[in-house]
Amino acid sequence: MTKKTFAGNYRNLEEISTYIINQAEQAGFSSKEIYAIQTAVDEACANIIDHAYGGEDLGEIEIEVKKIKNGIRIILEDEGRAFDPDEVPTPDLESPLENRRERGLGIFFIRQLMDKVIFDFSNAHKNTLTLIKYKGG
Amino acid sequence: MEFVITEHTHCDLISIAGRIDSYSAPKINQALKSLFNDGHHNLVVDMRDVAYISSSGILVFVNAQRQLKRQNHGEIVFAGISDLVYSAFELAGFHQLFEFFDDTISAVGKF
Repeated sequence: MTKKTFAGNYRNLEEISTYIINQAEQAGFSSKEIYAIQTAVDEACANIIDHAYGGEDLGEIEIEVKKIKNGIRIILEDEGRAFDPDEVPTPDLESPLENRRERGLGIFFIRQLMDKVIFDFSNAHKNTLTLIKYKGG
Repeated sequence: MEFVITEHTHCDLISIAGRIDSYSAPKINQALKSLFNDGHHNLVVDMRDVAYISSSGILVFVNAQRQLKRQNHGEIVFAGISDLVYSAFELAGFHQLFEFFDDTISAVGKF
């Protein structure tokens, strides 16, 4: 298990991705799976900066990575505002591309790309997002 | 992320290298706006050296393409996109909004 803390700003997204890619490579995921994990974590961190903190450099993102049986578990913690992911609209994939609304695309990506996505806002001081990906899943 | 813009007779070629994420997407957005303001509406985006695109990066191109289509003037096409980066466009359903070419020569030749 490894744990790293990053200042919540967009500049750090690249360093976070490098960290996640290294961990996923060590866990033995395929390049397609690594790209999926990278995307899910990148979108989650961007959402934390945008929505939980409401801007850059207003708080930290703690990332814990643990290899589990046949997969990886990534836990992201922040101390920003809790938000209900169920209230984020699902992208409307049916309407014409010219005017389809685009909110919630990040969360849609996360849910599509990971095997388990668990938001936990029960702690008053921190939000926790658990992401699990299985190999060949 | 870095990009270079090369003017061609009938279009401009933007070659991007690196990651297109929430940090770099606004810079691409700015570059596209400047091109449109200068009357350059036909754009080939060379994605050969782009290793990653986030939803915010995709939406920069989607919104720019929508603007061009609304004005019925110009188009953005992509060249040399990797399978992994293309898969993000596909996941969002936005691959249908763009034409994708294998290489920049055939993409530039479209205009």
